[in-house]
Amino acid sequence: MGERPAGLTFSRHGYPLAALPPESDARPLDGLLARAREGDLSAFEALVAATREQVYGLALRMMGTDADAAEVLQETYLSAYQGLSAYRGEAAFSSWVYRIAANHCLMRLRHRKVRAAAEDALAEPEYTPRGSLAGMPAEAWGRSAEDDALDAELRMAIQRATDALPEAHREVFLLKDVEGLSYEDIAGMLGDSVPAIKSRLHRARLSLREAIDRFYNEKGLQPGGQDGI
Amino acid sequence: MKTCKDSIDVLLQYLDGELPAEDAAALESHLGCCTPCVEFLRTYRATTHLCKRALAQKMPESVTASLDAFLKERLGK
Ligand SMILES: [Zn+2]
Repeated sequence: MGERPAGLTFSRHGYPLAALPPESDARPLDGLLARAREGDLSAFEALVAATREQVYGLALRMMGTDADAAEVLQETYLSAYQGLSAYRGEAAFSSWVYRIAANHCLMRLRHRKVRAAAEDALAEPEYTPRGSLAGMPAEAWGRSAEDDALDAELRMAIQRATDALPEAHREVFLLKDVEGLSYEDIAGMLGDSVPAIKSRLHRARLSLREAIDRFYNEKGLQPGGQDGI
Repeated sequence: MKTCKDSIDVLLQYLDGELPAEDAAALESHLGCCTPCVEFLRTYRATTHLCKRALAQKMPESVTASLDAFLKERLGK
């Protein structure tokens, strides 16, 4: 059998539906993308439908209000549609559109007068003068990490702690740990070096870890707050 | 001998697999004899996991509707 002619390679073979690997490997949206690039509006709408929940989540976490998130969502898909012909398909559609959304958020945040980001808002672990950890983490940690339902109070404590991070640390934490973008993408978007991004990420994680630990400790001190052993 | 602070300073690189072998070995030998650091590492990793879940968001239906309307209008149909 001869080679398949170039340019006609988007047959739907290849991915047994029951065992779809993550999109970064399988890229199940590629077929829709090919049609959208040829001007098929319904294919583009299907791409939107497949990715909008995730994009909205990113926008809301980054921007903080529904109204801003909804506007970012619109701008993102308008940019994506306009950029379809220039997009060469090196990344999966979902990653590409995710980066567009992150860029729109960052542009808006730059224009917004973000409150001066005090570095001392970052909590750090406590050490003895000899550099040893001063305390043990609260005991409750082990339980909830894998729990199905996340305690509503803990959810709120984490949201507050994230909001309280200095903006430069908050952005990096959200983009890397929550949205899953690569260090290289984030460094490119923010115009910083990868080591600078990693250093901010580490400090953000430490600060959030302290906040969660404090939450568990305080909860453990309340009567009835501890489940007992 | 590594201190707890030395160990915690390099946790991100360690978890990313980017710590030079010698430093990783020194960190692991500290972890081998320091329970607080073992617990710290565990909770450091759990932080990302917990935050991701705590910050999950649902998209309201009104947003879906207004996005659809916006795209219909702007992309011409
Ligand atoms: Zn230690």
